[in-house]
Amino acid sequence: MGVQVVRVEVTPLQTEGMRDVLGDVIQRQLLADHGIDVGKVRSIRGYLIRSQYSADEIEPRVQDIFSDPIIEFGATNTSLLDDKKYFPTHPTLTVTVGFKPGVTDNPGAAANDGFKILFPEGKSSISTYVSYAFLSLPDDVDHNWLASTLFNGLIERSILTSKDQLESGNAIHLTYPERPIIERQTPSIINLEVHDEELIQLSNDGLLALNLNEMQTIRDHYRDETTRTNRANVGISPDAPTDVELECLAQTWSEHCKHKIFASKIHHIDTETNEDTVIDSLFKTHIMKPTHDMAKDVDWLLSVFHDNSGVIAWNDDWSICMKAETHNSPSALDPYGGAMTGIVGVNRDILGTGLGARPIANTDVFCFGPPDWSGELPSTLFHPSRVLRGVHAGVRVGGNESGIPTINGSIVFDERYIGKPLVYCGTVGLMPRRLADGRESHEKNPTPGDLVYMVGGRVGSDGIHGATFSSLELTDESPSSAVQIGDPITQKKMMDMLLEARDACLITCTTDNGAGGLSSSIGEMAEYTNGCEIDLGKVPLKQEGLSSWEILVSESQERMTVAVAPKDKDAFESLAQLHEVEATHVAMFTDTGYFHVKHGEETVAYLPITFLHDGVPQLELESEWSPPQHVAFAPPADIDQTTLLREMLTRPNIASKETWVRQYDHEVIAQTVVKPFVGVERDGPGDAGLIAPIHGNPQGLVVSCGIAPRYSDIDAGAMVAASIDEAVRNAVCVGVDIDKMAGLDNFCWPDPIESEKTPDGKFKLAQLVRANRELERVCRAYHLPCVSGKDSMKNDYGVWPDKISIPPTMLFSLFGNQPDVRKTATSNFKHHGERIYLVGTTYDELGASEVAFHLRERGDAEGIGGQVPLLEDPERQLNVYRKLSASIQQGLVRTAHDCSEGGLAIAVAEMCIGGRCGAIIDIDGIGHGDAFTRLWSESLGRIVVSVEAQHELAFVEMMEGSDVHLIGMVTESSDLIVEDGYDMIIQADVDELTTAWKGALDMTGAVE
Amino acid sequence: MSREVKVCVLFGFGINCDRETAAVFDMVGGTSERLHVNRLVNGERHLSEFDILAVPGGFSFGDHLGSGRLLGNRLRFALREQLQQFVTDGKPVIGICNGFQALVKTGLLPGPHAASMEPDLVQRASLTLNNTGRYEDRWVTLEFDSESPCIWTKGIQRIECPVRHGEGRFVMPTSEELDGLDANHQLTVRYVDPITPVGEGIQDELLSFPISPNGSMRNIAGICDATGLVFGLMPHPEAFYNMWLHPEHTSMSIGDDWEGEGLQIFRNAVEYVLRQR
Repeated sequence: MGVQVVRVEVTPLQTEGMRDVLGDVIQRQLLADHGIDVGKVRSIRGYLIRSQYSADEIEPRVQDIFSDPIIEFGATNTSLLDDKKYFPTHPTLTVTVGFKPGVTDNPGAAANDGFKILFPEGKSSISTYVSYAFLSLPDDVDHNWLASTLFNGLIERSILTSKDQLESGNAIHLTYPERPIIERQTPSIINLEVHDEELIQLSNDGLLALNLNEMQTIRDHYRDETTRTNRANVGISPDAPTDVELECLAQTWSEHCKHKIFASKIHHIDTETNEDTVIDSLFKTHIMKPTHDMAKDVDWLLSVFHDNSGVIAWNDDWSICMKAETHNSPSALDPYGGAMTGIVGVNRDILGTGLGARPIANTDVFCFGPPDWSGELPSTLFHPSRVLRGVHAGVRVGGNESGIPTINGSIVFDERYIGKPLVYCGTVGLMPRRLADGRESHEKNPTPGDLVYMVGGRVGSDGIHGATFSSLELTDESPSSAVQIGDPITQKKMMDMLLEARDACLITCTTDNGAGGLSSSIGEMAEYTNGCEIDLGKVPLKQEGLSSWEILVSESQERMTVAVAPKDKDAFESLAQLHEVEATHVAMFTDTGYFHVKHGEETVAYLPITFLHDGVPQLELESEWSPPQHVAFAPPADIDQTTLLREMLTRPNIASKETWVRQYDHEVIAQTVVKPFVGVERDGPGDAGLIAPIHGNPQGLVVSCGIAPRYSDIDAGAMVAASIDEAVRNAVCVGVDIDKMAGLDNFCWPDPIESEKTPDGKFKLAQLVRANRELERVCRAYHLPCVSGKDSMKNDYGVWPDKISIPPTMLFSLFGNQPDVRKTATSNFKHHGERIYLVGTTYDELGASEVAFHLRERGDAEGIGGQVPLLEDPERQLNVYRKLSASIQQGLVRTAHDCSEGGLAIAVAEMCIGGRCGAIIDIDGIGHGDAFTRLWSESLGRIVVSVEAQHELAFVEMMEGSDVHLIGMVTESSDLIVEDGYDMIIQADVDELTTAWKGALDMTGAVE
Repeated sequence: MSREVKVCVLFGFGINCDRETAAVFDMVGGTSERLHVNRLVNGERHLSEFDILAVPGGFSFGDHLGSGRLLGNRLRFALREQLQQFVTDGKPVIGICNGFQALVKTGLLPGPHAASMEPDLVQRASLTLNNTGRYEDRWVTLEFDSESPCIWTKGIQRIECPVRHGEGRFVMPTSEELDGLDANHQLTVRYVDPITPVGEGIQDELLSFPISPNGSMRNIAGICDATGLVFGLMPHPEAFYNMWLHPEHTSMSIGDDWEGEGLQIFRNAVEYVLRQR
């Protein structure tokens, strides 16, 4: 029997009590996003089964595999749309969406897994599709527009079927997406002995993202006589690189992998202070050195910077690591797939730390354009609401299906993120301090002769050039091969298997396959032993015919690279078999000093390890600071504060993100103590995530974050200080151990290299300089070492002068110890009669504040300029935090909430919302400026707490020497009342505030 | 007589609540082992070595083709005899969330209508997409049928714990079949409105979202088979093993006993096994 394709279609039954929920969701979302009621929608899931089995053989088992006998009907080799029993009338329009050839089809892979149980013979594969049948679509809805909202042409294909086509029997069906057969190209030799212009052309045409100096450095390597002799000895072109080598160098030397801007030599001029200095590497100067200095004072910093994540000793038995990454460019092209690969990718960083850590918590921070944006949109960009939906769905599926709770995060909105959304995904990992054989699990220890396995997914043409592509700005021509869809279940199986292998002491070294693929993963690990030899011919492929360079640099997902001692070969391989995980021996560690790549017998790349990793020339860049000029913010004199409070609660940056965040599993592993939502109705904001990861043990771990991109409009240095302080404040609110906190810096910048494309590059680089200086100053003062970080430096869309650049943004993530989770605090007011205190001082700092942006957008203020929040004395601030955290750890304070966007007004309103109770506060005497300023200023270092009367004295004594103000009391009434001395300036019903705050970002449509 | 109660906690293929499920059995005196499904399939181990079987929550096979379906198939086709023997031997089985979905799709739940009948592995009910169309994580209030034969829920009246699912809507083809289960007191646990007095919360009429998080027929959160030994539920009692996991623990005066309300379910099963010896 030959290979054939059988079609199975499944639709939900319409009998009493049964529903077509997928159809209902499409109807609701179109209403919520576009205000269009498309009428009843029905759905069909389709399976195209390519195997040796016929329809007659498959049909009797359809209910065993494809359709649920209780709730669905499944048909074989007939079109359900023509079945009068299930579709009595022909739909006005049916949109059928399937995958393009070669795109990851997770439902198809799962279906095939199930299929093989019953139909084990021969090769089989399954491709899936979904049909949305619009039963009575209004006439004025454009069919092509409607279809465009349902699929992404980059990765999916679609067919539109009209009522006429169905009636005349002319409907077209999606067919199995056959991949075009490709033939393997033998490696070519690239002549670099050409003019400079041609060198640049080579780099541009090949998406190599290498500059002239780098191309020349590569050329010069092949001019060296020793190089030529050594190359001739192994039978590779002596005086010119192969395409494999050039691609490998481009990946390894990419901005994405080598962080060339952070490593560059910067000539920095400050026009305000007349400073004129040279900085040799921002990273080494302002991030690495401070952490290494701090490491001298503590014994818990186990591994910083050099591994896939930073590791700290949490207690005698366990260590904790954390990493955050961004996945911005892929998320712009395909929000769902891009974001999913972002989250499952950073999970692999944890799995690839030391000998492998277990991911136990995720954090997600997104920056998007306004979801209700009605302004212009370049045709190649998605509307922000679609980016939000797609990114959210990708991270939800990636996190939930991996069984990792999302315990903390944030969503920030600004128009400039329309050009490039920022998708930060972070993961916390847990690992035993020592393995059964005594080795410390945070250290890798491979030896020459160890076998190198590629574990997990296979290599395909998806994900080629991801690292170099993200080192370029986004344009219309950005390649679709750079986008992939993650496969969380393949990864979950791999994770289960590798953690078991770690505990059985079978692993000597491991790292993930992310940017740069095998080229980076094996290349980086080869530094430990000073060499490796790879055979690309052994690498399992999704598709035959890939060329050597493609196999080497492909970033196909769900792969880890693992080294195993030869004696453990069998044990490792049988473990992989048990877990149904593919593990292939593709390389061996050596000590030859060479990164030696073969394809079968042929040597296709032969690069010295030192040249590969340290050969990239240092960039030299120009930076010049002069402060940006803004119209000063001046609020209207007669503003009604109660109305303003209600409006501010609906600002996307402030409004509740509950309907989005609740779709993340935040409690799997049964460890989450302070959840994203707190309070009587479990809808008040949680400040930081707090988990107790060892079951039954109350020792806690705090995870928090801070992000404040608006302040970059005035000073990117202030932006960084505010971000760090926010992360620390959030952690203090749940009682973090001030003496054991570590941080991660994740910079996302617009291109800061001056060029024709970027005439303001010097200014953007100066912003980066100021940001790094503040990072060092504040982290040193807070004794808060950065243990890992990442930067993404090309967050722009389009070309000058129509370029959209993101505001310089740094996410600061924090993880720290918490001694006993039974003594913690949440943001909701608990009981009436509690005294409300404001910790910290309020200054006149309304520059770039949320209220300034709001009033400017509303047309009630001209500018957002003014003093941006400063952190003048962080040493003193740390002492205040230490006392407050101790008050929480002693059980004196059980209510604490951080003041950030929207200042004191929003903080207190949120505490009332969480507690569903009233409060009366008086803002007289809490700091500087008029009542408007004291209400809305975003001064740092401030936390609102409430204290039960019985603990008040002890609390006040505890906080002695700190700036603490008694501002009011929690009341039994339903109103939040704010007074300024004798004037009542706000009287607001808490239920109304709740409705405003919760409704603004609820884009789910109605529930039923 | 041995006091050891061996608990098999399945994992693999996307099951992801295996660690906490194993941990809660250990907390109540059981001896749990996380066992990869394939160690049973390949004959390396056998279910008969264990006293209790737990199928934890997760996303087995990504929930593609319907939640729990592909895992259910693996159990139904590859472990058929072992499973039938385990249940016939009178050993307790629990399926939580994805595990419940798998047991329903395997046909172990609700199973044949009389306790005397052997398990036939015929699917009689299903769990389908929540009416909201959304996966959600939220806490719910549950009340238990005090006359249920379920050995897992004896003496438990009402507890809170989280649901975390997108496909938790329990359905059966006809109301007669639901009536039959109800008459047998197999509708063991329902979502109830927390403002109702304890013991008076159970109702057949559909409760509104989010009191019923998914729109289940008769607000069903979990059911047992006719013997009361096999029990499955969508909510996660293991996720409330300690009071510090309660969303409002910072508002409560807890004192010294921090045990969470979810733990008793697991203790009931361990004690049941010991009583049978």
